[in-house]
Amino acid sequence: MTTYHLRVNGREHAVDTDPDTPLLYVLRNDLGLNGAKFGCGLGQCGACTVTLAGGSVMSCLVPVSVVGARPVGTVEGLGSAQAPGTLQQAFIAEQAAQCGYCIAGMLMRAQNLLAANPKPTDAEIRKHMMPNLCRCGTHMRILRAVRRAADAMGGKGGKA
Amino acid sequence: MRRAPDSPARRRLLAAAGSLTMVFAVGPVWPQDETPLSKGKLPGSLEKAPWLDAWIRIEADNRITVFTGKAELGQGIKTALLQVAADELQVAPAHIVLVTADTARTPNEGYTAGSHSMQDSGTALRHAAAQVRAVLAGLAAKRFGIDAAALSLRDGSIAAPDGRRLTYGELLAGRQLHLRADPSVPVLAPAAHTIVGKALQRVDIPAKVSGGAAYVQDLRLPGMAHGRVVRPPAPGARLLDVDAGAVARLPGVLKVVRDGRFLAVIADGEYRAVKAAAALARGARWDTPATLPRDATPAVMVRALPTRPNPILARGTPGAAGRTLAANFSKPFQLHASIGPSCAVAQLVDGQYTVWTHSQGVYPLRDALAELLGAGKDTIRCIHTEGSGCYGHNAADDVAADAALLARALPGRPVRVQWMREDEHGWEPFGPAMLTAVRATLDAGGRIADWQYDVWSPPHNTRPGKAGNLLAATHLARPFAPDTPTPSPQPEGSGDRNAIPYYVLPNARVVHQFQPGAPLRTSALRSLGAYCNVFSIESFMDELAQAAGADPLAFRLAHLADPRAIETVRSAAQGFGWDKYRKPPRRGRGFAFARYKNLAAFCAIALEVEVARETGMVRITRAVAAVDCGEVVNPDGVRNQIEGGIIQSASWTLLERVRFDERQVLTRDWAQYPILRFNQVPERIEIALLDRPGQPFLGTGEAAQGPTAAAIANAVADACGLRLRDLPLDRARLRAGH
Amino acid sequence: MDRSQRPRKSRRRTRRLLLAALALLVLAAAAWAIMWRPAIDPQKQVPAFDQATIERGRRVAAVGTCAACHTVDPSRPYAGGRALDTPFGTVYSTNITPDARTGIGSWSEAAFTRALREGVSRDGHLLYPAFPYDHYTRLAQDDIGAMYAWFMTRPALDAPARDNRMTFPFGFRPLVAFWNILYLKREPWRPDPQRSAEWNRGYYLSEALAHCTACHTPRTRLGGTDFSRHLDGGEAEGWYVPALNVHSPSPLPWTREHLAEYLRTGIAPDHAVAGGPMQATVENLRLADPRDVDAIATYIHGYLAQAPARATRASQPGSLPVPQEGDADLARMRAGHAVYVNACARCHEVGREASSGAALPLQKAVALYDPDPRSLVHIVRDGIAPPDGEPARWMPAFGAILDDGQTAALAAYLRRYGAGQPHWADIDNKVRKARQP
Repeated sequence: MTTYHLRVNGREHAVDTDPDTPLLYVLRNDLGLNGAKFGCGLGQCGACTVTLAGGSVMSCLVPVSVVGARPVGTVEGLGSAQAPGTLQQAFIAEQAAQCGYCIAGMLMRAQNLLAANPKPTDAEIRKHMMPNLCRCGTHMRILRAVRRAADAMGGKGGKA
Repeated sequence: MRRAPDSPARRRLLAAAGSLTMVFAVGPVWPQDETPLSKGKLPGSLEKAPWLDAWIRIEADNRITVFTGKAELGQGIKTALLQVAADELQVAPAHIVLVTADTARTPNEGYTAGSHSMQDSGTALRHAAAQVRAVLAGLAAKRFGIDAAALSLRDGSIAAPDGRRLTYGELLAGRQLHLRADPSVPVLAPAAHTIVGKALQRVDIPAKVSGGAAYVQDLRLPGMAHGRVVRPPAPGARLLDVDAGAVARLPGVLKVVRDGRFLAVIADGEYRAVKAAAALARGARWDTPATLPRDATPAVMVRALPTRPNPILARGTPGAAGRTLAANFSKPFQLHASIGPSCAVAQLVDGQYTVWTHSQGVYPLRDALAELLGAGKDTIRCIHTEGSGCYGHNAADDVAADAALLARALPGRPVRVQWMREDEHGWEPFGPAMLTAVRATLDAGGRIADWQYDVWSPPHNTRPGKAGNLLAATHLARPFAPDTPTPSPQPEGSGDRNAIPYYVLPNARVVHQFQPGAPLRTSALRSLGAYCNVFSIESFMDELAQAAGADPLAFRLAHLADPRAIETVRSAAQGFGWDKYRKPPRRGRGFAFARYKNLAAFCAIALEVEVARETGMVRITRAVAAVDCGEVVNPDGVRNQIEGGIIQSASWTLLERVRFDERQVLTRDWAQYPILRFNQVPERIEIALLDRPGQPFLGTGEAAQGPTAAAIANAVADACGLRLRDLPLDRARLRAGH
Repeated sequence: MDRSQRPRKSRRRTRRLLLAALALLVLAAAAWAIMWRPAIDPQKQVPAFDQATIERGRRVAAVGTCAACHTVDPSRPYAGGRALDTPFGTVYSTNITPDARTGIGSWSEAAFTRALREGVSRDGHLLYPAFPYDHYTRLAQDDIGAMYAWFMTRPALDAPARDNRMTFPFGFRPLVAFWNILYLKREPWRPDPQRSAEWNRGYYLSEALAHCTACHTPRTRLGGTDFSRHLDGGEAEGWYVPALNVHSPSPLPWTREHLAEYLRTGIAPDHAVAGGPMQATVENLRLADPRDVDAIATYIHGYLAQAPARATRASQPGSLPVPQEGDADLARMRAGHAVYVNACARCHEVGREASSGAALPLQKAVALYDPDPRSLVHIVRDGIAPPDGEPARWMPAFGAILDDGQTAALAAYLRRYGAGQPHWADIDNKVRKARQP
């Protein structure tokens, strides 16, 4: 067991855990954050997507010992149920969820896109979201929600 | 008496109050004794739980709690039921707390499955709430000493014209309505609905987009320990030996459990449990015999299984003259493949088990666990806690059994068991492989004069009720034997669901070739046999239409009699622009129609695909669906289910196949078992809802699976001339051409 | 002084100037003659082809791996648009569907043949040798004709060519003519009478069609294939491409069967997985006639088998060792070992459980034995993902998870303690460069 100092959603945390513990388990079990979810542990489904130094990562593949000082962002950092952020508002407005299990990962994956490219085309959104799986078939709404959030954030990209 | 101004609210009350006059006239309203007041079947699940206070409780402080035996699976049922109850009770939905499937608190409504929830629970709640409203009105009328017609209901209270007002809670003063349901109490007329029929925002979504605790996977209890089960490498594997001692000494390990072939480890931290389980797996030696038919196609494999023919239709006389066509269709084993692998938490305290589970049936699960643990049913409480979408009988019950067994091994502490991805892909009950054979004769006029259909299928229902249907139970030193499945009768059916076409066929014979077992465990996957049967029938209808020289749409319309079916078909065709369609290069259109179970929702789908034969890539450019599901409670919920059904069915149809060699299942993760990703999702989906206010609710959640598969196959045939009859229509098959 | 009194020197100088001007003119004319090629008239009507020829063309194109460069989006086969980074700039592949306006729809078989044999487009402009016509030039005419039948019967797709981004002066296409003088050997392929029919078939397919040496042989400064170093390794798209001859870095010997399986499926079990540019090659070979792939394996294996047997860590099973106390670079080795143990070993040592697809034990990974770390860094950064919608092995991408320092430490550790090989020089810079997207 080692103590790791993590910066998550802008706040410092000290966590005692084994060096090979994936960040996913640290976020959920040590920090009590529910957003990132266990879907496969293999980096194939994206349910665990968070941002690491702004880059989109599968937290199930990130051993806590490599995080270092790089800031971690989870869906909790985008807003709360009472005060949802722009992306979250877009997902609520489009009712972009069925079982909802994949949605936090989708939000973080979309967040990564909009931070780098505020005016994505529809084709760019589709391509960017590919690493994330949805089994319920909510894809059309997710795409509309990301488009809605992009438009709300000021960019006005359109169809490719 | 001064006539009170007319208003819809008053009219409703009059109607309700009038019909209860008889009830009030005979004396105290409640508590009622056990003698039934009226004979006849009660609506929906009221038949199983006829007491009003099983469904609705109102406290003195006006808190309203509504109970349903159904579970939220992500299909939006919580929101829809809230809408139904809130409308009848004349309160805002936010005023109601909805409690779902809990063996200690809610009625027993069996499984949340088969698209029954609105029919069973929605109907029950509608009538129960209407009756509660009527009782409250009667009480207020008595208390105010005025005619019930003069009352008005608002925000959970009832007011007299002179301003006197009492809340529901004050009227009941803490007493519960232990009254039998009375089916004669009228419900709101459709025109009076203010909440039902509106796209109310789902109550669970805000938490799901912001990391709120929403799933059984998010449950955290004090002192909770983490378990992982090490499954055998294959169904037939035998455990030779295992080095449990080394694992028991790993950091954080609290206990290693071994009971026959059931191997598990419990640790104080989740990842420590994962690592310990991997170590336990490495330390185990198994004998894995070759028991699976490695190279057989699904069609060949299914055909070879023991079969019990079960004729389900014998109409008219065979042997009509004309041109005869025949075809066989098949589907492979397929996965539910829930995004979140199954999870459960269980705790044993003072002889009482509590199990938090996303099982579709908490009551049957409880019975199975009681048998498994050798405990009384009243010592086990199963509380439904949402999981990720299950799409049928996935591993939810199995993991609940794992958790219960581990809770028993570590009494006092809650134990959380989370299946890994390989566990879920390898061990969930699969959607069965199926084979169909259809043969039809066209008369001189191009109409179907004879129809013969056979469907071979392993079981579609091995849900617990019996302990032997829980995976762990079959691995114990003294194993429980799985139940012997039996076919479900029509019209529900199992492998034969939707095997009887909805078309007018004067001479038709349908045989369900029921197969009690298969080399791999199988159970219910969304729409059961309907997916393969509708795929087969609707593909073949296109082949018949072509042989008759008819447009596929016109051919179907010529064989439909039900006006609602006809309207659904026309609506989809019109939305697609069927009559105006001009086929672009590399593209084609396909159509399919079915009425789920021949008694639930009507669904017609027209879609266009683009096919690249060189790479095998099929892209859906447009999908247009028309749906008639009776009275629509939440239009957005229905659209979500149909869109989701189309996309999920497209994934099954274009990609999905469980693969195995002679020893074990090979498709253990998303790399080996790819499902549809954003790049292959249709470009556009449009859905027309044919709302029928006043008509019964019709189950919708599974209505799109079958028609989508056939529409895709028909569109591929139109695009490139390739008539493919064996699912999936994957890239390799499209490249090869067969 | 008057003109009749001008010295002889100045008259000679004038004559020399005139001669020089004439020589320049002749050179310019010669250069123009070298660089200019005529257009071939557009063909109005596409001829008919028989099924057998078309199917043969499909198989030839599969071995030629045309789709590897000319198909970007699997739902638009052969529409082109793939960027190929070369030392001379970025070249985009073109649309080779029979679209009249944006593809090769108006190309006659003669035009198609000239493109494959001489690198000249129908309208006369020279093609960049990123298109390996210096290999295809040796194809038999009936193979070219079969490919023509295949491509001319594909669905026409509208996809205009993208503008290349060449570094100056290579944007001036006619310069390629001089490259052709140096490197385009217009001689037909001939079998080697000393060898078996199978070997010769593999020789023909590898050299003339699959163009293995285009990547697996080093190139000269001017980008031509250095045939004196046949199969000595090379580079492609930022990857190091291993030698397939006596200098093969592979830590384990290859059998011919291993190689054939690898070429057909992308995996030689417990040995190697195709990554990077080789993935596209394998995707194409998968669709070829298996006998042709076997022949290629026979031919290449003839060279690969010459690599001397050597004892490497690849034959030592088990966990990779902990860095030793005396290691001169101990801090970095420990850092790399920590990354390996915490991020990689979970899959690469033992797999997560007995039945899930376990990853290659890294002491067997060819990339660790390469003379430079580029391929390893690419694999770690991008992973190895299956083609869309098709089942295959999948290594996830770690590019956003590990930073430059962690990747360099991991590479250094794996080189020494995984492969037991001498350290890679200048590893920090190499890693940083290779990690650029």
